Amino acid sequence: MIEFDGVRFTYDGQHFALDGLDLKVPKGEFLCILGSNGSGKSTLAKHINALLIPDEGTVTVDGTDTREQGLRYLIRSTAGMVFQNPDDQIVATLVENDVAFGPENLGLEPAELRARVTEGLKSVGLQGFELRETNALSGGQKQRVAIAGVLAMHPEVLIFDEASAMIDPRGRKGLIKVARALHEAGMTIIMVTHFMEEAALADRVVVMKEGRIVKCGTPAEVLTDASELRDLNLSVPFATELSLSLQNQGLSLGTHLTESELEEDLCSLFSKR
Amino acid sequence: MQLVFEEVSYAYASLTETKKPKKSRRFFGKKKEEQAAAEKPAWGNDPAEKYALHQVSLQLNEGDFLGICGHTGSGKSTLIQHMNGLLTPTEGRVLLDGRDLSNKDAQKECRGMVGVVFQYPEHQLFAQSVYDDVAFGPRNLGLSEDEIDARVRKALADVRLDFDTISPVSPFELSGGQQRRVAFAGVLAMQPRILVLDEPAAGLDPAARSSFLSLIKELHEQGLTVVMVSHSMEDLAQLCSRIIVLNQGRVFAQGTPEQVFSDAEGLKSIGLDVPAAQRVANKLRARGIALPGTLYSSAEQLSADVAKLYRELHGEDAGMDAANQIAAGKQPLAASQAATGGAGKQPLADGAGETAPGNQAESAKNNSAINSNESLA
Amino acid sequence: MGKMVFGRYYPGSSLVHDMDARAKLSIMFFYMVAVLCCANPYALGACVAFTFAFYLAARIPARVAVGAVLPLSFIVVLAMLANLLFIQQGTVYADWGFFKITEGGVYQCFFMGIRLSMLLFGACLVTLTTTTLDITDAFEAILKPFARFGVPAHELSMIMGIALRFLPQFMEELAYTRSAQLSRGARLSEGSASERVGALKALFIPLFASVFRHAETLAGAMDARCYHGGPGRGRLHPLSYSWRDAAGVVAFLLMVAAIVACNLAL
Repeated sequence: MIEFDGVRFTYDGQHFALDGLDLKVPKGEFLCILGSNGSGKSTLAKHINALLIPDEGTVTVDGTDTREQGLRYLIRSTAGMVFQNPDDQIVATLVENDVAFGPENLGLEPAELRARVTEGLKSVGLQGFELRETNALSGGQKQRVAIAGVLAMHPEVLIFDEASAMIDPRGRKGLIKVARALHEAGMTIIMVTHFMEEAALADRVVVMKEGRIVKCGTPAEVLTDASELRDLNLSVPFATELSLSLQNQGLSLGTHLTESELEEDLCSLFSKR
Repeated sequence: MQLVFEEVSYAYASLTETKKPKKSRRFFGKKKEEQAAAEKPAWGNDPAEKYALHQVSLQLNEGDFLGICGHTGSGKSTLIQHMNGLLTPTEGRVLLDGRDLSNKDAQKECRGMVGVVFQYPEHQLFAQSVYDDVAFGPRNLGLSEDEIDARVRKALADVRLDFDTISPVSPFELSGGQQRRVAFAGVLAMQPRILVLDEPAAGLDPAARSSFLSLIKELHEQGLTVVMVSHSMEDLAQLCSRIIVLNQGRVFAQGTPEQVFSDAEGLKSIGLDVPAAQRVANKLRARGIALPGTLYSSAEQLSADVAKLYRELHGEDAGMDAANQIAAGKQPLAASQAATGGAGKQPLADGAGETAPGNQAESAKNNSAINSNESLA
Repeated sequence: MGKMVFGRYYPGSSLVHDMDARAKLSIMFFYMVAVLCCANPYALGACVAFTFAFYLAARIPARVAVGAVLPLSFIVVLAMLANLLFIQQGTVYADWGFFKITEGGVYQCFFMGIRLSMLLFGACLVTLTTTTLDITDAFEAILKPFARFGVPAHELSMIMGIALRFLPQFMEELAYTRSAQLSRGARLSEGSASERVGALKALFIPLFASVFRHAETLAGAMDARCYHGGPGRGRLHPLSYSWRDAAGVVAFLLMVAAIVACNLAL
């Protein structure tokens, strides 16, 4: 449903932030985009909802070319985006007004707007927050309000552009929970991040470097390649690090992505006679 | 240099104001519960939570590395703002070398002794050049231009920035990582005896992060007393000599990392975790693998003990993968670390390449830290 | 932190909360004119009484009302001082050469103080009982007739709405920067004039930088949510007049009548 074909993009005319990028994201996928600062991962995300338009190549969302001026709002309501800084995407002082902001821009009727606000807040677990002040919310709650605001536009794709980078671990957990639930309900999720625990949940992981995709595969394939990850200035999931370190010590174990798998493997190794 | 908190409480609303407004005004006949609902959320603070800090006692001695953890809103920021008199307690006292910090004169004398690096300190940069920004603090101390110049040079060197290339540049033209270093240098130039850091590594990528932390570690080893707020239990466990856990403005736990992290259940009950290595170790212990009771804060440390235990139980060779044993020195992990440490092109890595098998992990860590330094610049 | 800031909304349900924002804004405008027309202490007293009644009708606790006005109280204090020191009429109470405190000065000091306070309380009543989006919508609706003369009604109201939304946040950021610079020994309340100017620079340049940073990403975020301005927007709370607005207008007219009566009779 989302297709990048030979996309190049430059901010300054010299250095290409995206440099010949091909990517297909099928409907319903949970895709994670990893990369260090300046790898072009956010630039990629901003191409999906036509905030940026490719200099070369094409990006299509549901068959619509993002270069088509007239259809830009259609694309943006199909592919919603949650940004990094919670404070920079909240427009209104009250939660309900902020959630309604997007659908209001779509020109919906008051009754429909009310229904969408209720539904949006419910799907992020913030029922009853309608009249709360946005300023008084925690970072994690603000991000969930932002998600509700996007969901209220009934998108098919949800893009998280490092949405968890500025919130604390507890808020991050809540965010992951919401993303997972939405994915299970059929939403296409594209998550730009550098947190491994988020990447481990994805169906597919794409690693970017200097505007290109350098690695692509399931989390088990990509995230267990510690040397590659370190070369790319990314962290390694703890279970993987520990597996490799144990192998290094001479224990015959597999390379694991999750702590529970590693525990099982270790316990069965210890119980072997 | 000693900093003591004696039963410090800090209330947002002053205590005389805490009487709740009368509830019985019913002018235009709305239902009572509606009115109650209208009064309660006010600015989102539950009136019962008017204390940002409640009876916090602690003692910070010369050379300590104190860690503070807790959720957002647990009082961490309020606590550190008491350390240099930015906030003064509603009840209790904060004593710096025996002088009460709520006293204005004491505050003046202590100016610069406690340096606070706030969260995202790069957002506080303002001067036209890096030099002027770093010199802001020393100038406020009223030092001579020579002394200021010497301090700026030292502070920039401390954060591993090159004085000649960076000092004339506008701080707004630097990369995020460099900006943070400059802001950090601005506090170091005050030459504080106690350095207070509020999540110094927030928002940095892994390499910049470990480089920044190793820098802090170095400063501590040079004799600076450090207080660090962090969400990362690994960082706290590895760096700190003592940890305070705050929960809803109260001290939930206080002690050495070993003491604090031994209570995994308690921490979990307030939504905090132990370091990942300790978490795995606890699960292994629960399943009958008799690891020693030490605190594990890194994968290397845990894997060494697990392997040792395994050999004790199963004999030197049992269960070992033959191929692994032969290739022991060239495992993927070791290879990658050697690559980041040795093969990188960086100016500072004197020690790179000397990766002795014994302290491989340790020196590789340092190397990657140094290496990341370069990727920041 | 839970500090109260000018321009904040106090959620609730009351006669005043439920009034149409257009009505509230229009009444506020005329209220301000009325307050400025008070010619004697009795008229001003009537103003105070009516303002107090309006706050009661809005069910706003005194603590909140005062908290809302406090950040701007320095304007009142300055005006009071200026009147006290520069107006020289009647009996002289104290004389320092250039400055004299006189009977007329004291009178004007209090008169102006109360008058300005009433203006602030009036403005705050609207912001306390009306969400910023409603205020901006109303603002837009009121300005709409002027659109044909080239007044960008929608853009102006959006700018105002965003400004109101970010005001509390910038106040917080300012407080944060202040703490940070004080920690670096900034002399905000002492030292020579040049030191203070330097310290102020250290406060406001980071704030401006932050405003630009926020503005840039906010614009992107609004774009991403299909914001296109002007026509074709729906509204969660469509503006509509009700009996409450009529009641509000009547209450206000009573106040005007009282002021006029006091002005003429005494």
